[in-house]
Amino acid sequence: MFKSTNLDMFTFPFTNFKNKTYRYSNDLVELSGDKVNFMKITPEYKAQIKRKREMLEKQPEVRYQSFPHTMEMQWEFVELLIDLSTAKYPEHFSVEKDGDQWTFTNHILEETEVFTFGDESSIDLEPYDMIGRHFHHDYMLMVNRDDNFYLEVAQESFAALFSPHWNLGMSFDEIHGPVPFVSRDGIDLVDRIRKFLLTIEPGVPRTRVNWNLMADRWDVNYETMDVWGPQREKVTPENAGELVHLRVEEQWFIRMPRSNAILFVLDTQFLPMEDLIKRPEWLEITYFNLADIPDYMAEYKGMAPFLPQTVEYLKNLIDSMKEKDKQEKGEEHFVQ
Amino acid sequence: MYSSPVLYDQSETIKEKLAFNNKRKKHLIIYDQQALSDVKQALAAESQNDVDYEQFEIDSRNLHDLRALLYSQKMGTHLYIASDWDHAVTVFTEAVEAGFTEDEIQTIIYGPKRRYIYCMKCYQKSEINPEAETVQCVHCDAHMEVGPFFSKVRKGYIGYPFIPN
Repeated sequence: MFKSTNLDMFTFPFTNFKNKTYRYSNDLVELSGDKVNFMKITPEYKAQIKRKREMLEKQPEVRYQSFPHTMEMQWEFVELLIDLSTAKYPEHFSVEKDGDQWTFTNHILEETEVFTFGDESSIDLEPYDMIGRHFHHDYMLMVNRDDNFYLEVAQESFAALFSPHWNLGMSFDEIHGPVPFVSRDGIDLVDRIRKFLLTIEPGVPRTRVNWNLMADRWDVNYETMDVWGPQREKVTPENAGELVHLRVEEQWFIRMPRSNAILFVLDTQFLPMEDLIKRPEWLEITYFNLADIPDYMAEYKGMAPFLPQTVEYLKNLIDSMKEKDKQEKGEEHFVQ
Repeated sequence: MYSSPVLYDQSETIKEKLAFNNKRKKHLIIYDQQALSDVKQALAAESQNDVDYEQFEIDSRNLHDLRALLYSQKMGTHLYIASDWDHAVTVFTEAVEAGFTEDEIQTIIYGPKRRYIYCMKCYQKSEINPEAETVQCVHCDAHMEVGPFFSKVRKGYIGYPFIPN
Protein backbone atom coordinates (compact mmCIF):
# COMPACT_ATOMS: atom_id res chain seq x y z
CA MET A 1 0.00 0.00 0.00
CA PHE A 2 1.47 3.37 -0.89
CA LYS A 3 1.26 6.43 1.29
CA SER A 4 1.95 10.13 0.86
CA THR A 5 5.63 10.73 1.48
CA ASN A 6 5.75 14.45 0.78
CA LEU A 7 3.55 15.85 3.53
CA ASP A 8 3.62 19.31 1.99
CA MET A 9 1.58 17.77 -0.86
CA PHE A 10 -0.80 15.90 1.44
CA THR A 11 -4.25 17.46 1.81
CA PHE A 12 -4.91 17.43 5.53
CA PRO A 13 -8.70 17.27 5.88
CA PHE A 14 -9.50 18.65 9.31
CA THR A 15 -9.41 22.34 8.75
CA ASN A 16 -11.96 23.18 11.43
CA PHE A 17 -9.31 23.62 14.09
CA LYS A 18 -11.47 25.69 16.40
CA ASN A 19 -14.31 23.27 16.94
CA LYS A 20 -12.17 20.16 16.98
CA THR A 21 -15.19 18.40 15.56
CA TYR A 22 -16.37 17.26 12.15
CA ARG A 23 -19.88 17.16 10.67
CA TYR A 24 -21.23 16.90 7.15
CA SER A 25 -21.72 20.18 5.40
CA ASN A 26 -22.02 21.64 1.95
CA ASP A 27 -18.42 22.68 2.00
CA LEU A 28 -17.82 23.19 -1.69
CA VAL A 29 -15.68 26.24 -2.14
CA GLU A 30 -14.28 28.23 -4.99
CA LEU A 31 -10.68 27.43 -5.84
CA SER A 32 -7.81 29.80 -5.59
CA GLY A 33 -6.25 30.49 -9.00
CA ASP A 34 -3.30 28.15 -8.51
CA LYS A 35 -5.54 25.18 -7.67
CA VAL A 36 -7.97 25.36 -10.59
CA ASN A 37 -5.67 22.99 -12.46
CA PHE A 38 -6.06 19.71 -10.56
CA MET A 39 -2.98 18.04 -12.00
CA LYS A 40 -0.57 16.97 -9.27
CA ILE A 41 2.48 14.80 -9.72
CA THR A 42 3.71 13.47 -6.37
CA PRO A 43 6.57 11.09 -5.55
CA GLU A 44 3.94 8.31 -5.64
CA TYR A 45 2.94 8.96 -9.26
CA LYS A 46 4.46 5.82 -10.79
CA ALA A 47 3.14 3.55 -8.03
CA GLN A 48 -0.32 5.03 -8.38
CA ILE A 49 -0.43 4.63 -12.16
CA LYS A 50 0.88 1.08 -11.93
CA ARG A 51 -1.88 0.13 -9.52
CA LYS A 52 -4.59 1.98 -11.43
CA ARG A 53 -3.70 0.23 -14.68
CA GLU A 54 -3.55 -3.16 -12.96
CA MET A 55 -7.08 -2.60 -11.64
CA LEU A 56 -8.35 -1.59 -15.07
CA GLU A 57 -6.67 -4.57 -16.75
CA LYS A 58 -7.80 -7.15 -14.20
CA GLN A 59 -11.30 -5.82 -13.50
CA PRO A 60 -12.40 -3.82 -16.54
CA GLU A 61 -16.12 -4.28 -15.76
CA VAL A 62 -15.66 -3.14 -12.18
CA ARG A 63 -13.38 -0.18 -12.79
CA TYR A 64 -14.58 1.40 -16.02
CA GLN A 65 -18.10 1.96 -17.31
CA SER A 66 -19.61 4.16 -19.99
CA PHE A 67 -22.68 4.53 -22.16
CA PRO A 68 -22.09 4.28 -25.92
CA HIS A 69 -23.55 7.71 -26.63
CA THR A 70 -20.87 9.52 -24.57
CA MET A 71 -18.08 9.59 -27.17
CA GLU A 72 -18.25 13.31 -27.89
CA MET A 73 -18.03 14.06 -24.17
CA GLN A 74 -15.17 11.60 -23.85
CA TRP A 75 -13.16 13.52 -26.43
CA GLU A 76 -13.85 16.75 -24.58
CA PHE A 77 -12.41 15.04 -21.50
CA VAL A 78 -9.31 13.96 -23.46
CA GLU A 79 -8.71 17.55 -24.52
CA LEU A 80 -9.18 18.85 -20.97
CA LEU A 81 -6.69 16.43 -19.43
CA ILE A 82 -4.10 17.06 -22.10
CA ASP A 83 -4.48 20.83 -21.80
CA LEU A 84 -4.22 20.81 -18.01
CA SER A 85 -1.29 18.40 -17.80
CA THR A 86 0.80 20.10 -20.49
CA ALA A 87 0.08 23.54 -19.00
CA LYS A 88 1.11 22.61 -15.47
CA TYR A 89 3.87 20.09 -16.14
CA PRO A 90 5.39 20.88 -19.56
CA GLU A 91 8.50 18.98 -18.48
CA HIS A 92 6.44 15.80 -17.99
CA PHE A 93 3.70 16.01 -20.65
CA SER A 94 3.61 17.38 -24.18
CA VAL A 95 1.28 17.36 -27.14
CA GLU A 96 1.67 17.96 -30.84
CA LYS A 97 -1.45 18.77 -32.80
CA ASP A 98 -1.38 18.52 -36.56
CA GLY A 99 -5.01 19.15 -37.41
CA ASP A 100 -6.88 16.18 -35.96
CA GLN A 101 -3.69 14.15 -35.65
CA TRP A 102 -2.60 14.42 -32.02
CA THR A 103 0.51 13.01 -30.38
CA PHE A 104 0.48 13.07 -26.60
CA THR A 105 3.69 12.17 -24.80
CA ASN A 106 4.01 11.18 -21.17
CA HIS A 107 7.71 11.77 -20.50
CA ILE A 108 7.65 10.27 -16.99
CA LEU A 109 6.51 6.89 -18.31
CA GLU A 110 8.14 7.39 -21.72
CA GLU A 111 4.88 6.63 -23.52
CA THR A 112 3.24 8.19 -26.54
CA GLU A 113 -0.42 8.13 -27.58
CA VAL A 114 -1.00 8.85 -31.26
CA PHE A 115 -4.61 9.27 -32.34
CA THR A 116 -7.06 11.10 -34.57
CA PHE A 117 -8.98 13.45 -32.31
CA GLY A 118 -12.68 12.58 -32.44
CA ASP A 119 -12.15 9.18 -34.04
CA GLU A 120 -12.53 6.26 -31.63
CA SER A 121 -11.30 3.80 -34.24
CA SER A 122 -7.83 5.35 -34.00
CA ILE A 123 -7.29 3.97 -30.46
CA ASP A 124 -7.76 0.60 -28.75
CA LEU A 125 -9.50 1.85 -25.59
CA GLU A 126 -12.33 4.32 -25.27
CA PRO A 127 -10.93 7.89 -25.28
CA TYR A 128 -11.79 8.55 -21.61
CA ASP A 129 -10.24 5.29 -20.50
CA MET A 130 -7.12 5.85 -22.63
CA ILE A 131 -6.24 9.32 -21.33
CA GLY A 132 -7.40 8.58 -17.77
CA ARG A 133 -4.76 5.88 -17.47
CA HIS A 134 -2.03 8.54 -17.59
CA PHE A 135 -3.25 10.26 -14.42
CA HIS A 136 -3.82 8.90 -10.96
CA HIS A 137 -7.20 10.49 -10.24
CA ASP A 138 -10.58 8.81 -10.42
CA TYR A 139 -12.90 10.48 -12.90
CA MET A 140 -16.70 10.54 -12.94
CA LEU A 141 -18.62 12.31 -15.69
CA MET A 142 -22.11 13.38 -14.66
CA VAL A 143 -24.45 14.59 -17.35
CA ASN A 144 -26.81 17.45 -16.52
CA ARG A 145 -30.43 16.63 -17.37
CA ASP A 146 -33.71 17.84 -15.82
CA ASP A 147 -31.93 19.68 -12.97
CA ASN A 148 -30.10 16.53 -11.97
CA PHE A 149 -26.80 14.83 -12.77
CA TYR A 150 -26.54 11.31 -14.18
CA LEU A 151 -23.40 9.20 -14.05
CA GLU A 152 -22.57 8.26 -17.63
CA VAL A 153 -18.82 7.56 -17.62
CA ALA A 154 -16.60 6.49 -14.71
CA GLN A 155 -13.03 5.35 -14.29
CA GLU A 156 -12.25 4.48 -10.70
CA SER A 157 -9.54 2.70 -8.77
CA PHE A 158 -10.08 3.90 -5.19
CA ALA A 159 -13.67 3.23 -4.20
CA ALA A 160 -15.34 4.31 -0.99
CA LEU A 161 -18.66 2.49 -1.21
CA PHE A 162 -18.94 3.34 -4.84
CA SER A 163 -18.90 1.21 -7.97
CA PRO A 164 -18.91 2.45 -11.57
CA HIS A 165 -20.64 -0.79 -12.53
CA TRP A 166 -23.42 -0.41 -9.98
CA ASN A 167 -23.80 3.37 -10.05
CA LEU A 168 -23.83 3.78 -13.84
CA GLY A 169 -26.85 5.73 -15.02
CA MET A 170 -27.87 6.82 -11.52
CA SER A 171 -28.82 10.35 -10.63
CA PHE A 172 -26.91 12.35 -8.04
CA ASP A 173 -29.74 11.69 -5.57
CA GLU A 174 -29.80 7.95 -6.23
CA ILE A 175 -26.03 7.63 -5.77
CA HIS A 176 -26.26 9.40 -2.42
CA GLY A 177 -29.39 7.56 -1.34
CA PRO A 178 -27.67 5.81 1.57
CA VAL A 179 -26.14 8.95 3.09
CA PRO A 180 -27.47 10.30 6.38
CA PHE A 181 -26.55 13.67 4.94
CA VAL A 182 -28.26 16.00 7.31
CA SER A 183 -26.62 19.18 8.49
CA ARG A 184 -26.58 20.43 12.07
CA ASP A 185 -29.76 22.33 11.21
CA GLY A 186 -31.48 19.22 9.82
CA ILE A 187 -31.26 20.29 6.18
CA ASP A 188 -31.12 17.68 3.41
CA LEU A 189 -27.59 18.18 2.17
CA VAL A 190 -27.79 15.99 -0.93
CA ASP A 191 -30.51 18.20 -2.34
CA ARG A 192 -28.65 21.35 -1.39
CA ILE A 193 -25.41 20.12 -2.96
CA ARG A 194 -27.22 19.06 -6.14
CA LYS A 195 -28.70 22.54 -6.44
CA PHE A 196 -25.31 24.04 -5.79
CA LEU A 197 -23.72 21.92 -8.53
CA LEU A 198 -26.25 23.35 -10.98
CA THR A 199 -24.70 26.77 -10.46
CA ILE A 200 -21.14 25.76 -11.36
CA GLU A 201 -19.97 27.54 -14.47
CA PRO A 202 -17.25 26.66 -16.97
CA GLY A 203 -13.83 27.89 -15.89
CA VAL A 204 -14.79 28.25 -12.23
CA PRO A 205 -14.52 24.77 -10.72
CA ARG A 206 -15.32 24.04 -7.11
CA THR A 207 -13.57 21.84 -4.64
CA ARG A 208 -14.17 20.04 -1.39
CA VAL A 209 -12.22 17.61 0.74
CA ASN A 210 -13.70 14.36 1.95
CA TRP A 211 -12.03 11.92 4.31
CA ASN A 212 -12.38 8.47 5.74
CA LEU A 213 -10.38 5.84 7.59
CA MET A 214 -9.40 2.57 5.96
CA ALA A 215 -8.22 -0.58 7.66
CA ASP A 216 -5.43 -2.04 5.56
CA ARG A 217 -7.30 -1.43 2.28
CA TRP A 218 -6.89 0.64 -0.85
CA ASP A 219 -10.55 0.74 -1.49
CA VAL A 220 -13.83 -0.54 -0.12
CA ASN A 221 -16.17 -1.30 -2.98
CA TYR A 222 -19.43 -3.22 -2.96
CA GLU A 223 -17.88 -6.05 -4.97
CA THR A 224 -15.41 -6.95 -2.21
CA MET A 225 -17.54 -6.34 0.89
CA ASP A 226 -17.19 -9.98 1.91
CA VAL A 227 -13.42 -9.47 2.03
CA TRP A 228 -12.97 -6.11 3.71
CA GLY A 229 -15.97 -6.35 6.02
CA PRO A 230 -14.35 -8.91 8.34
CA GLN A 231 -10.85 -7.38 7.89
CA ARG A 232 -11.94 -4.31 9.82
CA GLU A 233 -12.22 -6.44 12.96
CA LYS A 234 -8.49 -7.18 13.09
CA VAL A 235 -7.53 -3.63 14.10
CA THR A 236 -6.23 -3.26 17.67
CA PRO A 237 -4.86 -0.23 19.55
CA GLU A 238 -1.43 -1.79 18.99
CA ASN A 239 -1.57 -2.24 15.21
CA ALA A 240 -3.84 0.70 14.30
CA GLY A 241 -0.85 2.95 13.58
CA GLU A 242 0.27 0.75 10.74
CA LEU A 243 -3.05 -0.69 9.50
CA VAL A 244 -5.37 2.30 9.70
CA HIS A 245 -4.90 5.02 7.12
CA LEU A 246 -6.35 8.46 6.90
CA ARG A 247 -7.86 8.41 3.42
CA VAL A 248 -8.33 11.86 1.93
CA GLU A 249 -10.26 12.62 -1.21
CA GLU A 250 -9.63 16.01 -2.68
CA GLN A 251 -12.51 16.58 -5.07
CA TRP A 252 -12.96 18.90 -8.02
CA PHE A 253 -16.27 19.70 -9.73
CA ILE A 254 -15.73 21.04 -13.22
CA ARG A 255 -18.36 22.22 -15.68
CA MET A 256 -17.47 20.95 -19.15
CA PRO A 257 -18.14 23.86 -21.52
CA ARG A 258 -19.30 21.93 -24.59
CA SER A 259 -21.34 19.09 -23.09
CA ASN A 260 -22.44 21.02 -19.98
CA ALA A 261 -21.66 17.87 -17.95
CA ILE A 262 -19.98 18.05 -14.55
CA LEU A 263 -16.66 16.25 -14.31
CA PHE A 264 -16.00 14.98 -10.82
CA VAL A 265 -12.28 14.46 -10.17
CA LEU A 266 -10.98 12.63 -7.09
CA ASP A 267 -7.41 12.76 -5.86
CA THR A 268 -7.17 10.03 -3.23
CA GLN A 269 -4.31 10.19 -0.75
CA PHE A 270 -3.34 7.95 2.14
CA LEU A 271 -1.45 8.57 5.37
CA PRO A 272 -0.99 5.88 8.01
CA MET A 273 -1.90 6.89 11.56
CA GLU A 274 1.70 6.31 12.68
CA ASP A 275 2.95 8.99 10.26
CA LEU A 276 0.82 11.69 11.89
CA ILE A 277 3.56 12.09 14.46
CA LYS A 278 5.66 13.74 11.76
CA ARG A 279 3.24 16.68 12.11
CA PRO A 280 2.34 16.81 15.84
CA GLU A 281 -0.37 19.44 15.24
CA TRP A 282 -2.07 17.11 12.71
CA LEU A 283 -1.87 14.27 15.21
CA GLU A 284 -3.70 16.24 17.89
CA ILE A 285 -6.37 17.60 15.55
CA THR A 286 -7.01 14.16 14.07
CA TYR A 287 -7.35 12.71 17.55
CA PHE A 288 -9.86 15.37 18.63
CA ASN A 289 -11.92 14.94 15.48
CA LEU A 290 -12.01 11.14 15.54
CA ALA A 291 -12.83 11.03 19.25
CA ASP A 292 -15.93 13.09 18.51
CA ILE A 293 -17.41 11.19 15.54
CA PRO A 294 -21.06 10.33 16.19
CA ASP A 295 -22.11 6.68 15.79
CA TYR A 296 -24.29 7.22 12.71
CA MET A 297 -21.39 8.81 10.84
CA ALA A 298 -18.95 6.09 11.90
CA GLU A 299 -21.45 3.51 10.63
CA TYR A 300 -21.99 5.27 7.33
CA LYS A 301 -18.30 5.75 6.73
CA GLY A 302 -17.73 2.07 7.53
CA MET A 303 -15.21 2.83 10.28
CA ALA A 304 -17.34 1.84 13.28
CA PRO A 305 -15.62 -1.55 13.86
CA PHE A 306 -12.16 0.00 14.26
CA LEU A 307 -12.72 3.61 15.26
CA PRO A 308 -12.40 3.09 19.06
CA GLN A 309 -9.09 1.20 18.62
CA THR A 310 -7.80 3.97 16.35
CA VAL A 311 -8.75 6.70 18.81
CA GLU A 312 -7.03 4.78 21.60
CA TYR A 313 -3.91 4.38 19.47
CA LEU A 314 -3.81 8.13 18.78
CA LYS A 315 -4.32 8.95 22.45
CA ASN A 316 -1.45 6.65 23.42
CA LEU A 317 0.72 8.18 20.72
CA ILE A 318 0.00 11.71 21.98
CA ASP A 319 0.68 10.64 25.57
CA SER A 320 4.00 9.06 24.63
CA MET A 321 4.93 12.13 22.57
CA LYS A 322 4.18 14.40 25.54
CA GLU A 323 6.03 12.12 27.92
CA LYS A 324 9.05 12.21 25.62
CA ASP A 325 8.88 16.02 25.45
CA LYS A 326 8.72 16.21 29.21
CA GLN A 327 11.68 13.94 29.60
CA GLU A 328 13.69 15.90 27.06
CA LYS A 329 12.85 19.15 28.84
CA GLY A 330 13.70 17.52 32.15
CA GLU A 331 17.03 16.44 30.80
CA GLU A 332 17.72 19.94 29.51
CA HIS A 333 16.86 21.29 32.94
CA PHE A 334 19.17 18.73 34.56
CA VAL A 335 22.02 19.69 32.22
CA GLN A 336 21.57 23.34 33.08
CA MET B 1 -33.25 3.96 -23.38
CA TYR B 2 -30.14 3.40 -21.28
CA SER B 3 -31.51 4.69 -17.98
CA SER B 4 -35.24 4.80 -18.59
CA PRO B 5 -37.66 4.07 -15.76
CA VAL B 6 -38.37 0.39 -15.14
CA LEU B 7 -41.16 -1.24 -13.20
CA TYR B 8 -39.93 -2.69 -9.92
CA ASP B 9 -41.68 -3.61 -6.70
CA GLN B 10 -41.24 -0.18 -5.12
CA SER B 11 -41.89 1.89 -8.24
CA GLU B 12 -43.45 5.24 -7.44
CA THR B 13 -46.09 4.48 -10.09
CA ILE B 14 -47.58 1.62 -8.07
CA LYS B 15 -50.83 2.52 -6.29
CA GLU B 16 -53.23 0.45 -4.20
CA LYS B 17 -56.35 1.37 -6.15
CA LEU B 18 -57.23 2.90 -9.48
CA ALA B 19 -57.68 6.67 -8.98
CA PHE B 20 -58.11 8.92 -11.97
CA ASN B 21 -55.85 11.93 -12.26
CA ASN B 22 -58.35 14.67 -13.06
CA LYS B 23 -55.71 17.07 -14.34
CA ARG B 24 -55.26 15.01 -17.50
CA LYS B 25 -57.19 15.40 -20.73
CA LYS B 26 -57.42 11.72 -21.46
CA HIS B 27 -57.29 8.47 -19.50
CA LEU B 28 -55.98 5.32 -21.15
CA ILE B 29 -56.69 2.21 -19.11
CA ILE B 30 -54.91 -0.99 -20.00
CA TYR B 31 -55.96 -4.01 -17.96
CA ASP B 32 -56.06 -7.76 -17.97
CA GLN B 33 -58.81 -10.21 -17.11
CA GLN B 34 -58.05 -10.08 -13.38
CA ALA B 35 -58.68 -6.34 -13.19
CA LEU B 36 -61.74 -6.30 -15.43
CA SER B 37 -64.47 -5.84 -12.82
CA ASP B 38 -62.55 -3.16 -10.88
CA VAL B 39 -61.95 -1.21 -14.07
CA LYS B 40 -65.62 -1.39 -15.10
CA GLN B 41 -66.62 -0.19 -11.64
CA ALA B 42 -64.17 2.72 -11.69
CA LEU B 43 -65.33 3.79 -15.13
CA ALA B 44 -68.99 3.59 -14.12
CA ALA B 45 -68.27 5.88 -11.16
CA GLU B 46 -66.70 8.43 -13.48
CA SER B 47 -69.38 8.23 -16.18
CA GLN B 48 -70.87 11.69 -15.51
CA ASN B 49 -67.56 13.48 -15.95
CA ASP B 50 -66.82 14.83 -19.37
CA VAL B 51 -63.39 13.28 -19.80
CA ASP B 52 -62.04 11.15 -22.59
CA TYR B 53 -61.52 7.48 -21.63
CA GLU B 54 -60.06 4.70 -23.69
CA GLN B 55 -59.68 1.11 -22.53
CA PHE B 56 -57.79 -1.87 -23.78
CA GLU B 57 -57.77 -5.42 -22.47
CA ILE B 58 -54.41 -7.02 -22.85
CA ASP B 59 -53.73 -10.66 -23.55
CA SER B 60 -50.83 -12.48 -25.13
CA ARG B 61 -52.24 -12.13 -28.67
CA ASN B 62 -52.60 -8.39 -28.99
CA LEU B 63 -49.15 -7.05 -28.12
CA HIS B 64 -48.80 -5.51 -31.54
CA ASP B 65 -52.03 -3.55 -31.05
CA LEU B 66 -50.81 -2.47 -27.62
CA ARG B 67 -47.71 -0.89 -29.10
CA ALA B 68 -49.70 0.90 -31.80
CA LEU B 69 -52.12 2.19 -29.18
CA LEU B 70 -49.38 3.55 -26.92
CA TYR B 71 -47.51 5.22 -29.76
CA SER B 72 -50.67 6.91 -31.05
CA GLN B 73 -51.36 8.77 -27.78
CA LYS B 74 -51.06 12.55 -27.64
CA MET B 75 -49.63 14.73 -24.86
CA GLY B 76 -51.89 14.90 -21.83
CA THR B 77 -52.81 11.20 -21.76
CA HIS B 78 -52.51 9.49 -18.41
CA LEU B 79 -51.86 5.75 -18.50
CA TYR B 80 -53.36 3.32 -16.00
CA ILE B 81 -52.06 -0.24 -15.93
CA ALA B 82 -54.21 -2.70 -13.96
CA SER B 83 -52.99 -6.26 -14.30
CA ASP B 84 -50.81 -9.01 -12.90
CA TRP B 85 -47.07 -8.35 -12.61
CA ASP B 86 -45.93 -9.80 -15.93
CA HIS B 87 -48.55 -7.99 -17.99
CA ALA B 88 -47.77 -4.77 -16.10
CA VAL B 89 -44.06 -5.08 -16.94
CA THR B 90 -44.89 -5.58 -20.61
CA VAL B 91 -47.17 -2.55 -20.75
CA PHE B 92 -44.88 -0.36 -18.63
CA THR B 93 -41.84 -1.14 -20.77
CA GLU B 94 -43.71 -0.46 -24.01
CA ALA B 95 -45.14 2.76 -22.58
CA VAL B 96 -41.71 4.07 -21.62
CA GLU B 97 -40.48 3.21 -25.10
CA ALA B 98 -43.40 5.19 -26.49
CA GLY B 99 -42.38 8.23 -24.43
CA PHE B 100 -44.45 8.03 -21.24
CA THR B 101 -42.73 9.26 -18.08
CA GLU B 102 -43.31 7.89 -14.56
CA ASP B 103 -45.46 10.96 -13.79
CA GLU B 104 -47.88 9.86 -16.50
CA ILE B 105 -48.25 6.22 -15.41
CA GLN B 106 -50.26 4.66 -12.60
CA THR B 107 -49.85 0.94 -11.96
CA ILE B 108 -52.14 -1.32 -9.97
CA ILE B 109 -50.77 -4.81 -9.49
CA TYR B 110 -53.02 -7.85 -9.04
CA GLY B 111 -51.30 -10.71 -7.27
CA PRO B 112 -47.65 -10.84 -6.16
CA LYS B 113 -44.96 -8.43 -7.29
CA ARG B 114 -41.61 -9.73 -8.43
CA ARG B 115 -38.31 -8.67 -6.90
CA TYR B 116 -34.85 -9.10 -8.39
CA ILE B 117 -31.37 -8.91 -6.90
CA TYR B 118 -28.19 -7.91 -8.73
CA CYS B 119 -25.20 -9.91 -7.52
CA MET B 120 -22.15 -7.70 -7.01
CA LYS B 121 -19.87 -10.75 -7.35
CA CYS B 122 -20.96 -12.09 -10.75
CA TYR B 123 -23.01 -9.11 -12.04
CA GLN B 124 -26.05 -11.26 -12.80
CA LYS B 125 -29.67 -10.74 -11.88
CA SER B 126 -31.98 -13.26 -10.25
CA GLU B 127 -35.50 -13.31 -8.84
CA ILE B 128 -35.81 -13.52 -5.07
CA ASN B 129 -38.51 -13.87 -2.45
CA PRO B 130 -39.65 -10.30 -1.65
CA GLU B 131 -39.47 -11.08 2.06
CA ALA B 132 -35.90 -12.43 2.06
CA GLU B 133 -33.18 -10.43 3.83
CA THR B 134 -30.31 -12.65 2.69
CA VAL B 135 -30.14 -14.92 -0.35
CA GLN B 136 -27.65 -17.04 -2.24
CA CYS B 137 -26.91 -16.15 -5.85
CA VAL B 138 -28.32 -18.79 -8.22
CA HIS B 139 -25.52 -18.05 -10.69
CA CYS B 140 -22.35 -17.97 -8.55
CA ASP B 141 -23.54 -19.18 -5.11
CA ALA B 142 -22.32 -16.01 -3.36
CA HIS B 143 -24.20 -15.16 -0.18
CA MET B 144 -25.80 -11.74 -0.39
CA GLU B 145 -27.60 -9.33 1.86
CA VAL B 146 -30.49 -7.71 0.00
CA GLY B 147 -29.67 -4.01 -0.08
CA PRO B 148 -32.24 -1.23 -0.16
CA PHE B 149 -31.04 0.35 -3.41
CA PHE B 150 -32.33 -0.34 -6.88
CA SER B 151 -30.56 0.27 -10.19
CA LYS B 152 -32.64 1.03 -13.27
CA VAL B 153 -29.70 0.09 -15.45
CA ARG B 154 -29.06 -3.26 -13.70
CA LYS B 155 -32.79 -3.78 -13.01
CA GLY B 156 -32.35 -5.22 -9.54
CA TYR B 157 -31.64 -4.44 -5.90
CA ILE B 158 -28.03 -4.42 -4.84
CA GLY B 159 -26.77 -7.70 -3.39
CA TYR B 160 -24.01 -7.05 -0.86
CA PRO B 161 -21.74 -10.10 -0.72
CA PHE B 162 -20.86 -11.59 2.66
CA ILE B 163 -19.25 -14.73 4.04
CA PRO B 164 -21.64 -16.58 6.35
CA ASN B 165 -20.40 -17.50 9.82
